Amino acid sequence: MGVAIVITSGKGGVGKTTTTANLGTALALQGKKVCLVDTDIGLRNLDLVLGLDNRIIYDLVDVVEGRCKIHQALVKDKRVDEKLFLLPAAQTTDKNAVNPEQMKSLVDELKREYDYVLIDCPAGIEQGYKNAVAGADRAIVVTTPEISAVRDADRIIGLLEQENIEPPKLIINRIRKDLMKTGDALDINEITTHLSVDLLGIVIDSEDVISSSNKGEPIVMDPNSKASLGYRNIARRILGESVPLMSIEDNSKGMFKKFISIFSK
Amino acid sequence: MNKQLVHIKGTKAGLVLRLDDQCAYAELVEELERKVLEGGIDGKVDVQLHLGNRYLLSAQQKELIAIVEGPGNMHVSKVHSDVITIEESNEKVLTDQSETYIGIIRSGQIVKTDGNIVVIGDVNPNGKIEAGGSIYVLGNLKGIAHAGVNGNKEAIVVASHFEPTHVLIDDQIEVMSNEKPFVKENADQIFAYINRDGIISYERVQEVRKIRPLLSTIKGGS
Repeated sequence: MGVAIVITSGKGGVGKTTTTANLGTALALQGKKVCLVDTDIGLRNLDLVLGLDNRIIYDLVDVVEGRCKIHQALVKDKRVDEKLFLLPAAQTTDKNAVNPEQMKSLVDELKREYDYVLIDCPAGIEQGYKNAVAGADRAIVVTTPEISAVRDADRIIGLLEQENIEPPKLIINRIRKDLMKTGDALDINEITTHLSVDLLGIVIDSEDVISSSNKGEPIVMDPNSKASLGYRNIARRILGESVPLMSIEDNSKGMFKKFISIFSK
Repeated sequence: MNKQLVHIKGTKAGLVLRLDDQCAYAELVEELERKVLEGGIDGKVDVQLHLGNRYLLSAQQKELIAIVEGPGNMHVSKVHSDVITIEESNEKVLTDQSETYIGIIRSGQIVKTDGNIVVIGDVNPNGKIEAGGSIYVLGNLKGIAHAGVNGNKEAIVVASHFEPTHVLIDDQIEVMSNEKPFVKENADQIFAYINRDGIISYERVQEVRKIRPLLSTIKGGS
């Protein structure tokens, strides 16, 4: 029996979908069987970030309404063999096409076959959010170091605490170390104490994330990116390993350059 | 009639009419009317009615007051009874009790109570507490606090870290985004109350004992 984790944020554009795609891929790379569920019905895009958009035949609404079997709708990611699957959202209807009970039984069915079911939640706190949370055992809240995202995260954590799930965990996404240093962005400590939830990990803002999304290739596939490392660490923490929080300092300098910099002070 | 149903007693504050609580209401009314008319008091005087263990409906109370105030030289300042209804008693219990909320009141959440409330945790921005009595926050108050919602002007708002966006006491509203150097400098452990001019002001928590001594429900320390 697997675990269903909903990835949510309240505010849009903080990186729920990117996080879902990357954590899913990272978990699959660690050898877990993972199914990603896109619940953003009417505005689906998890398939694009994974580069699976042209392989969709059936979608979530088709499954719920009984037009196909669940395994017919699942799209396999060929890069991670037999480990990563996507249940895409429908594009032609809206969030009211499914209800929380249907979602719960769907997720329960997926949990029987997969180690991890990651549910990508739409922005907002309406029907789509209720559907996404219905089947989840755990929740991950994604935020960015902006006051608006933190405020919405606070709201969503409040709502999640009403649900019958484990206390939500926090990911701080799109960290800009230059802004954090000067105090122009909220710092990590400030955000976690304000929200008073456990920090699951941080992800550093990087242009590679955008370009890799556009290519349909999750950034975790690229082991050299700092954002990729953030996602990999988070995946390891989900698996129960204790991984120290990465520093936001740039230590990409080579040994030789470091050596030089000692003398050039 | 051998027993007096209405005792009249003079005190510093005026007259006290002690009304018998065993006789029939009609008899009492009759006797009271007689006593009031024979009175012979000069000038205006304040009167307190002591009802003892008799419960009166508000219409009956008004009737008695009308009788006493009938001749025009007496004014009823207070009606005192030793009994209250269960309903009144329950209401009193609710408004006097302190509730405890442990947790964080997050954006969009509202916690309401009829009496006082103690919050162990934070009140985050856009989170709101509404209390019939006072609000005590052991944590950061960064949201909205509304004390004395049902017209209790004596209520106060206390927080270990006082940084709310809005403070309301009874019908007074204070938007904290206005510059308030005192609040900013003393954010740790201050409280808000309605001062004598009817506006919300702030003091260090050590001053509560001078400003609202009656909020204390226990005496001790000796």
